[in-house]
Amino acid sequence: MLRSLAALLLMSTAALADTADGEALKAMTWDQIVEEARGGTVNWFMWGGADTINRYVSDHVGGVLKRDYDITLNRVGIADAADVVNMVLTEKEAGVADAGAVDLIWINGENFRSMKQADLAFCGYTDLLPNNALVNWDNPAIANDFGVPVDGCEVPWNTVQFAFAHDSAVVTEPPRDMGALLAWIKANPGQFTYPAPPDFTGSVFVRHVFYHAAGGADALLGPFDQAKFDAAAAKTWAILNEIEPFLWREGQTYPNTIAQLNELFANGEVAFTFNYDPSQFGLAVQAGTYPETTRSFGMTDGTIGNTNYTLIPFNSPNKAAAMVVQNLLLSGEEQLEKAKPEVWGASPAIDIARTSAEVQDGFAAIEGHPSVVSADELAKAALPELQADWLTAIEAGWQAQVGN
Amino acid sequence: MTGRANPFWLLAPALLVLGGLFLSALGLTLIRSFRYMPVIGLTEPDLAAYAAVLASPGFLASLGLSLWIAVASTGISAVLALGAALLLRQTFPGRRLIGFLVQMNLTVPHVVGAVGMAYLVSQSGVFARLAHAAGVIDAPGQFPALTQDPFAIGIILLYVWKEVPFITLILLANLQSIGADHEATARSLGASPWQAFRHVTLPMLRPGLLAASALVFAFAFGAYEIPLLLGASTPKALPVLAWQSYTNVDLAARPEAAAMAVIIALIGLATLLAYAHFAQPMADRGRDAR
Repeated sequence: MLRSLAALLLMSTAALADTADGEALKAMTWDQIVEEARGGTVNWFMWGGADTINRYVSDHVGGVLKRDYDITLNRVGIADAADVVNMVLTEKEAGVADAGAVDLIWINGENFRSMKQADLAFCGYTDLLPNNALVNWDNPAIANDFGVPVDGCEVPWNTVQFAFAHDSAVVTEPPRDMGALLAWIKANPGQFTYPAPPDFTGSVFVRHVFYHAAGGADALLGPFDQAKFDAAAAKTWAILNEIEPFLWREGQTYPNTIAQLNELFANGEVAFTFNYDPSQFGLAVQAGTYPETTRSFGMTDGTIGNTNYTLIPFNSPNKAAAMVVQNLLLSGEEQLEKAKPEVWGASPAIDIARTSAEVQDGFAAIEGHPSVVSADELAKAALPELQADWLTAIEAGWQAQVGN
Repeated sequence: MTGRANPFWLLAPALLVLGGLFLSALGLTLIRSFRYMPVIGLTEPDLAAYAAVLASPGFLASLGLSLWIAVASTGISAVLALGAALLLRQTFPGRRLIGFLVQMNLTVPHVVGAVGMAYLVSQSGVFARLAHAAGVIDAPGQFPALTQDPFAIGIILLYVWKEVPFITLILLANLQSIGADHEATARSLGASPWQAFRHVTLPMLRPGLLAASALVFAFAFGAYEIPLLLGASTPKALPVLAWQSYTNVDLAARPEAAAMAVIIALIGLATLLAYAHFAQPMADRGRDAR
């Protein structure tokens, strides 16, 4: 009984671990990798907070993978990619080198840096993906993830740019630059707030104020610089402490998560919400959560944009299948599918000019949701992300100086 | 071979789960809290993480908040549950229905209760909307802040709502095994209802009440999800602070998270020891009195 159980366990590990050896895969052709991937299961850990995205991944992407590649996609919903970083890290500590539970992660920014810090990513394979040719790696916003070089350790999936949303029936003329927004907050007490960093979205709002205080992002690019940080940070905390009494609940508390801010906006407690992914506003209107009169906008002095990626952990036992998933996600057809507002409305991470005529026509035919500011409009004033060291310093400084 | 002769085999499955999952995880947390984490290059164990945690400005406020939440929730729940149990012990029309209603929410998960509490008592919740419809308030901000508030009222309300049935259940079981004889005897010897309760029933109930309260205290002190959903952004309850540190993007912050978890565990342990210290002699005394 015990022996057969052990044999069964051994067999299942062998079956699971057959594409754990990434170096062997790198020596293969793409057709061989697709062949290796057949029958594999990909455990994809990704933020699970939007039904539409979940549906697109589980039903549409999962369906294509099963039909064309005999790959089973198992979507695992999580609240924060940091949870998965911890999982893979614990596996590494426990010596699990070729049978990890995670095959693919939706990730970027600080969590990507953590994965690199502890050497948890499978790297140097992205050139093997045929659809990698569609990616414009000369674009620094793609080749660097929050200032950290991608180095073939992850594959871009979407690009996003931060935008604000308001109810046009309540606020007819929203402020259009950071200075005007700060003035608006003081003139309308209790109508504005932002999630407390380190919430991902609250953190990026504070970075906009940081850029404003520093007189633009240009001086802040590059490695962390304590002197530059101190100068800009002092002004930032002064601004944020000055507006604090005019925030929701007189600034005595802040929402803990972006979900709580969205709830406050949906209930009319505050006049604005904001998001890295403006398509979320349209989805919330479709779901009946936000009023039909919701509109969104960027800032004339720019809003921050970034790219998000998929990454294969070093110990994934299904690397071949995970690579096939990544290649499929990069295809013109899939990038077009998820760009449709009724599906998700996510901006592509590939250079559309490199896709087929059909795909290009498809992108041209997309009509945006009236509540979602177009990516072209936002792109007129785009700001870069800072390197991860800046982010952690800003978050820690906010907690000590503003949110205490 | 009988089960009585070999209690080890009966205990083995439970010990396996306890030792394999709980104690090994606790051990790993301890090791990490001493800053031993070779995977990120920490190989010299020391106590720096504890020093950093104890010296960080938010820690004492968080500790105080968590203690306040646990003490208030436990105290209020225990008093209400005692009343409910004494009431439900008696026979009156509708007792079964009320008993069912009191215990219904035992099956509702804490998180679901917290979301419901937010829908009810937040500044744009059901009560605020009723107040608005009745013309009492004009805007959400005029409704008293009961969630994300500095006194953790929302969190305490949720725990009271959730834990009263739990303590009531334990007290009712106790009351059933105690029976009505002792109290009746006291009454026949001339004790007033209050005296009979104060000097006879309450001392006999005290071990059960203390045991249930210790569990509630340890849970309310160590639980993460309710303060996250209903709590203010500052100060954060201790478990929320620990989780935030555990998910800090800088892997070097993990030892501090582990140190906080160990401190939470130590306080939980101290509660149980205090319970054992106070409850055991009392139970003995109760037995002697019989």
